[in-house]
Order: sequence, then structure tokens, then C-alpha cells
Amino acid sequence: MARSDPANADRFRTVFSKWAGRVRRRLALGVVLTGAAAGLALGAGAAAGAWKLRQGAVRPWTAAAGLVGAAAGAIVARRRRWNDTEVALFLDGRLGANEAVATAVDLGQQQEKVAGSAKGAKGESAIERAAAKKAGGASEGAAGEAGSGAAREAGERESDPSENPGYFVVLGQATEALSKATGKQVRTRVLRPWHALVPVAAGAIAYLSWIPLPAAPPGPAVPPGAEQVKLAEVKGLEKVIALAEMNARDEAQRERLKKLAEEARKLQQKLKEGVEKREAQADLAKIKDGLMAERMSLGEGEERAGLETALSKMAENPDLKDAAKALGDRDLTSFDEEMQKLANKMEKEDRERAKKTLEEAAEAAKKAGAGNVAKALEEQKKRLEQQGAQGDALKELAKELGEGLSDEAKEALKDMEKSGSPEAQRKLAEKLDEALKKLTPDERKRLAEKMKKQAGQMDPGEMGEGPSKEELEDLAKKLESEEGMKELEEQLKEMAKESQSGDGQREQGLEDAEKGLGEAEQQLGVPMPGPGQGQGQGDGKQGQGQGQGDGKPGKDGKGGPGNGDGKDSKEPATPGHSDGGGPGDHKGQTGVVDGKGVNARADAKVNKGRPMPGITMGRTQGRAGETANTRGTGALGDAAPSEIGGVDRSVVPEEYREQLGRYFQPK
Amino acid sequence: MDKFEHKLSLARETSTKLKEAIGQVIVGQSEVVEQTLWGILAGGHVLLEGAPGLGKTLLVRTIAGCLDLQFSRIQFTPDLMPSDVTGTNILVTAADGSRHFQLHKGPIFGQVILADEINRATPKTQSALLEAMQEHACTIAGKRHAMEEPFFVLATENPIEMEGTYPLPEAQLDRFLLKVIVPSPNEDEMTEILNRTTGRERGEPTRVLSREEVLEMRALCRDVAIAEPILRYASRLVRASDPASQGAPEMVRRALRFGAGVRGGQSLVLGAKAVAMLDGRAHVAFSDVQRVAKPVLRHRLIRSFEGEADGITTDQVIASLIESVPTRPEGVEKALSK
Repeated sequence: MARSDPANADRFRTVFSKWAGRVRRRLALGVVLTGAAAGLALGAGAAAGAWKLRQGAVRPWTAAAGLVGAAAGAIVARRRRWNDTEVALFLDGRLGANEAVATAVDLGQQQEKVAGSAKGAKGESAIERAAAKKAGGASEGAAGEAGSGAAREAGERESDPSENPGYFVVLGQATEALSKATGKQVRTRVLRPWHALVPVAAGAIAYLSWIPLPAAPPGPAVPPGAEQVKLAEVKGLEKVIALAEMNARDEAQRERLKKLAEEARKLQQKLKEGVEKREAQADLAKIKDGLMAERMSLGEGEERAGLETALSKMAENPDLKDAAKALGDRDLTSFDEEMQKLANKMEKEDRERAKKTLEEAAEAAKKAGAGNVAKALEEQKKRLEQQGAQGDALKELAKELGEGLSDEAKEALKDMEKSGSPEAQRKLAEKLDEALKKLTPDERKRLAEKMKKQAGQMDPGEMGEGPSKEELEDLAKKLESEEGMKELEEQLKEMAKESQSGDGQREQGLEDAEKGLGEAEQQLGVPMPGPGQGQGQGDGKQGQGQGQGDGKPGKDGKGGPGNGDGKDSKEPATPGHSDGGGPGDHKGQTGVVDGKGVNARADAKVNKGRPMPGITMGRTQGRAGETANTRGTGALGDAAPSEIGGVDRSVVPEEYREQLGRYFQPK
Repeated sequence: MDKFEHKLSLARETSTKLKEAIGQVIVGQSEVVEQTLWGILAGGHVLLEGAPGLGKTLLVRTIAGCLDLQFSRIQFTPDLMPSDVTGTNILVTAADGSRHFQLHKGPIFGQVILADEINRATPKTQSALLEAMQEHACTIAGKRHAMEEPFFVLATENPIEMEGTYPLPEAQLDRFLLKVIVPSPNEDEMTEILNRTTGRERGEPTRVLSREEVLEMRALCRDVAIAEPILRYASRLVRASDPASQGAPEMVRRALRFGAGVRGGQSLVLGAKAVAMLDGRAHVAFSDVQRVAKPVLRHRLIRSFEGEADGITTDQVIASLIESVPTRPEGVEKALSK
């Protein structure tokens, strides 16, 4: 077929359509892939975000972004679809056809336009008409063509291009170029570097969908102690409430104790209804402060000078040194014990001297305006006298019984004579009671006579070792009759009981109340380890909380090992506690305070556990050694103005400041 | 074989013969000969510029000799009058004694006009060529006289001698389809020239083309097809040569005062068609447009003071235009470049 054959028009269209379709498809594929890559990249980002935000179910669906991207790419490809001219120019460029294809397409488009507007030419294609014209015009001379050349040029783009004698030649050249083309020659580039995102992003989405979600972020931190506490029964507070009924030193103290009891009652009510833990802790701390203040109230304030004068007086008698120290420490229970020890082990003369000293101390205290101190000292003087007499009688009775005593009684007697301890006295009284019950009437009679005889040998008011003449006579008289015997047994039973002074009883009550507060704090959640109670050491991770274990008492009644597993508890693990170093398994441990590292208060490690006497663990500020904050009048003399508050300014950890304050307390 | 295709083939053969015939006289200068042929076949006038003694006049005489056309030569001098070019009516006494005016045609009434050293004449005389060049007709004493086709002017000018010359006005320059720069011959060419011109004189060149053949080739040239994208490219090139247009490259803005106009665009397309025809193609390619761009546009671009001061030639500007104006749409260019 000749290159200029009119059939070339159809052939050109066929060949051109083939290559144009291929070019367009590849171009569209490239854009679709770009869209898919962009979509998948965004999807991977979204999957990462979903993973981060723990939206597990969303992750696989982010792959749909790739499909959306591909669809968008298809739309863009459709909108940017190359027209025939653009494809022809591309093919010309690739085939080196010198724009033959583009010219053929352009002329074909013009021909289509003309054919469309030629309404009269029904059923006859433009190509056919052109071929007919061409056949008819073949004989035209060159001159004639030349003459019409300019006119044709002017109207060429509006006229039928098939009238152009070169049209079919162009078609032939273009067809020939396209026919010789290979797929490789006209291949457009489909894959671009960014298309690598398709597998990468798809893989990323798959991976992000596969891996487990990250751990949930911690929720907003609850302020410490903000949790609600609800306790139906707080037994420890009952001991504080009981203070309202306690025998007070004076009216002011009664009012204070009533107030403390009322606060405890209110707190108990709050806990029943539910209250924030920190509020309950603050209330407990406040009550504890009140109790502490009450325990330290003897000789405080205006009576301070009187107390210190009395202590100075007592210190003049070496026998009363320990008692004076106990009084100075406001440890009235110890003060009672010390006085009873003195009563038990002192000779009469010494007791008289001690009584005199106490009398002088009481007088000095009274003069200095410390009425309560004076009253306490006078009471101790009476108790010294009374207990001394009782002790003598016990010892005498024990001696008189001689071999009738059990070994335990003998040991108790020995211990009482040696240490004068109230424990030994009580034990001796108990054993004597048992021994007396075992005596036959004849033995009692002989014992009474023996005692009478011994009393007869003594002068009235004689001072010396053992009981007085009157005491012996009284004892003998009791042994003689059944009623006296019963009275004696009652006396011995009373002596077997613990005896305390009024202040001692108050001190004991306050201490009980303080212990009750400790129990209440423990119930509230503040760890309060005590003897026989250990706390297990948790093995959980930080922040996930480990619970408290139940400590078992050791064999000797001392602290046993903590045994907490605490896996499920929400409370943080706390160190265990062991008391006394008994034979128990001491697995619990107390946090070590490194003495070398107490340079800064902020770094000081506070041991959790039962607070030391005089320290406040609540939200109120702890009180440092008070004596160092006031002008002292004791042995150390007046404190210089710069020394006042020195303890507070020191680097000593807060929990040690009170001891330090006491150490520097003026004597 | 199709007739058109045959004509194309014939035109190519003829042009080859023509170039060979010219080559018998003119040594080298193949590009000059080629470009001159473009101008003749496209139906335009050609301005040849070159230093004296490079064979410009000889070239034109040779071309004229190869064409079976009426040749006229006008040697432009400063005292040349327009009537010396166009001709004039002279009073003639008839045999019966009566007198009447008779037109004495000037050298313009030829078919191949050699306007030698055209810039030596005054603008008044130069402008005598205007009508003839544009309309292929000449009005003398109110009477219009058509030129016999084919009619084309081949002018030469000397760029060196400025004294006593009158640079062609822009309007007249624009009427030349092409401005061909005649370069100096290289050593081989010079040797051959010396050999040929210093021996026995050779005869006249062979006549290769008849008047009809020239006209037919001109018609054939106009029948060469050109696609719209190529027309648009030509338009973009021309528009970009205007420093006031938006798409003008930086060099155009800097070095030019005025760009080419519509006539420049027409010349570009016609020249490209001639190139395509002589290449044996029935259609124009982008490369054809680029190939004729320099001879078509170089005398149509008016340099600015800055351009002249910087020594920027119009050829450099055209090169930058070709480089900066894209041939195809951006997407196609991208696809082709990858």
C-alpha cells in the first residue's frame, strides 16, 4: 500500500489509538500509584497515630487511605488525561518523527471538525470525500496549485485539510513512524522513586496493625491523700474519746481533754460518713498534737521555772536523780516507777531524807508558782511513805515466813531488795498471798507471836531497817484473827496490782489515747508498724503498688518477719519492721538513714513507722525542741538571742530535732 | 507514488542540483546558499550581510544564473535616486512626429533583483524598494505596474563601513524574510577560492530551474502542513522576543528594545516550511522552526542601549529564546525528559 493511500487515514487512527491508549494507561497508572503511595503514607501516619492513641481497631482500616489515594489518583489522571495532540507530541518526541504524528493528528482533527459541520455530506466520510477530490484533482497542473496556494494558506485551518495535497503524505509518514514503533520506544515511566512508599507504607500499616498497643498512659495524678476514706468503726479513737472521763489535773486540763475527745468524736463521725484521707490525717495530727501538748503540759509555761527549781532541788539528793530526770522528761509513769523503786529499796532513814527533799522541792515549786508540780511532788511524797511501809511489811512477812516461801517468792524478795522494782514487789505480794493461804492456824499464830515478840523488842519511833514497831504489831494482829487475815490478804492483792499516782494515771491515759490514734492512723492507711506486726516487702514494679503483709509475732513476743506478697494491693510497698532482735526471722527491714548524708533537710530520708514521741507525722508542722526556742533559766543559763531557734535553723532532719532540743534543754 | 510526494522528492532533487550548480562557482558557504534558497522558495526577500570580498554579489549572481529568471542588478550609491531604481516616464517622439511619455522601466522590473550594498543609498532611495518588495508591484507616475513572478530581492550590505552608509530602516528590514550572515571562508575554502578565481575564467553556471519550476516549488512550500502545536511554538517564540511580554526571558528584557512582530511570525512559519520541503517532508517540525529562527528573527530584534553596550548580539538573544521557550506542553516535556 502506498504511503499516500487514503486508507492510511484509518490505518493511522488504528495505530495511533493503540499507542495512545498504551501511553495514557501507563501515565494513569503512574498517577494512580502516586495517589496510592500518598494515601498509604498518610494511612501509615494515621495507623501510627491510632497505635499511639491505642485505637487498635482503627489501625487496619487506615489501609483504606491507600484505596482512597488511588481513587483520587485515578480522578486526577482522568482530569489530566493527555489529549491526542499531547500524545502525538510525545510519540513524535520518542520516535523522532519530526512531528509527523502531531501534524497528522492535527490535520485529522481539522478534518473531523469540517466533517461535523458538513451537514449535507451524509454517509460520506471526509476521508472518502478527500480521496475523491484527490483523484479528481490529480491532473491539475502545478501552476494552478501554485496560484491557489496563498488562498489556501489563508483559509487552510478552516477548510478541509484533506484538500491539502500533503495531508495523505503526512498521514503516511506518521503511520509509518508509528508502525515501526516498539513498546519500549514509547514507554512512559510508570514507577517513580516515591512509589516505593506503596510497599513500605503498606508494610508499616500491617506492622502497626500487628504489634500490640502501647501501655496505657498513666491517668491524671490524684493529689496525695485526696482519696475518700470511709470507716464504720475506728476503735483507736474510742481511747481518745475516753479522755473526756479522765480525772484531770485541773479544770483547764479537763476542758482541753474534753475538747480533744470532742474532736476525736467528730472525726469518728466524719470517717463513718466518708472523708478525704488527707483531711482525716490532718484531724488526727491535730488531735495528736493536742495529746502531745497535754503530755508535756506539767511544768510548762508559767510553771516552767517552778519545775526547774524543783528539779534542781531533787537533784541535790543523789537517790532522787533518776526520778528527777523522769520528771524532767515529763515521763510521769517512769517517775512513778522510780519513786516506787526508791520506796522498796530505801532504808527508812533514806526514805525520810527523800521525803524531805520532795517536800522541799514541792515547797520550792509552790513558791515559784508551779502549783501542779508541787501537788505532784507532794503526792509522790505520800506514796513514798505509804509504799515504803507496804514494802517493809512485805519484806518482814516474807522473812518471817522463812522456809515456808516458794523459790519464786524468795527470788522476788531478793529482786525487790536489790532493785526495788514494782514488778518484784507485785510478784512478792502475790507469792506471799499464796503462802499465807497455805499456813495452818497454828503456824499463823506462831508467826503472829513471833512478830509481836519482835515488835516488843523495838522502841516506839525507832528508825532502822525494816518496818516500824507499829507496823509489826499491826501485822501480827492481822495474822491472829480471821478477819485480820482476810484484810491482810486483800492488802496483798492490792499490792500485787500496779499502783500509779494521779499524774501517772493521766499520763497512762494520754499514752493510751496516743496509741489509739496510732491505731486509727494505721486503719486510715498510714503504715504504723508495731511490735509483732511486720510489713511485707513488695516485689512489684514501681507505680503498680504492692500491699502490706501481715507480720506474725516472734516466739518471744517480739517482732516477727513480715510476710507480705502484696501483688494485688494498690498500696505501695513499704519496708517491714522488726522489733527487738528476737529469734524470729527478721526479713523485714527498716530503711537506713545515712547519717553522713544529712547535710540538707530536703534529702533527709524519713523512716516510715510509728512516730517518735513528740513528733508529728501529720500535715501540721513538727515542733522542734521547744526549750531551745525559749529563754531558758536552767543550768545552762540564759540562751543568747541568736541561739533561740537554733535547732530549727540546723540541718538536722526534722524527726531528730526534738531529741536535739531536749539534749540542749537547760537543766 | 503520490503526486505531492513526487513533487517533494523532485523539489529535493532540484534543490540539490541547484546547490551543486552554485557550488561550481561558490566555494563553501553551504549554509548561506541553503538559507538563501529557503528565502527564495518561501517567496521572500533575502538580505545578505558580510564583509566586502566574501562573494555576496557573486553568490547572488550565481543564483540568478542558475535560475532561468530575469536578473537585475542595482548598485546602491549615495546619489542613487528612486527613479533610478523604479524607472521613469520619458518623452518619446513617435515616427509621426507626435510625442508621448513612455515608461522606461528601472532595474526593479526584473525577477531576481540584486540590491548591492543597499545601505549605501539614502533612505529615500531605499524606500523605493518598499512597495515592490511588499506588494510585488511598483507605482510610477500614478500607474501601478505589477512585477513578473517570481520576484525576489537579494540585497547585500556591508556591516563594517559605517561612513557614508544609511542603515536600513526597521520597516524595510522587516520586509526581508531572512537576513543571512555571510561568514569568512575557512582555510580549505579560501584555498579553493584562490585556486578557482586566479586561473582561467569559468563559464556561466548551469541553469537548473525554470521560472515555472520556481513557482511550483513555491506553491509546494506553502502546501507543507504545519500542526497547531508548532504554530503555537512559533507564536510563543515571537511573543517571547517582545521584552514587554510576560514570558520574555531575562536576556530579552535586558538586551532588547523591540521584538519581532506578526510578520516575523509569518516569516518563521514560511521559512520552516521551506526547510521541511527541502528536507523532503510534507510537514514542519519544531526543529525546522528553530533552524530558521536566527535568519528570520535576527534583523527584526532591535537591541536596547544596554544590550548594545553589553555586546549582546541578536543571535545570542535568539539562542536564549530557543533555549527558554518550551516546544511541547510541560507534561509532555517532562515525560520525554525522563
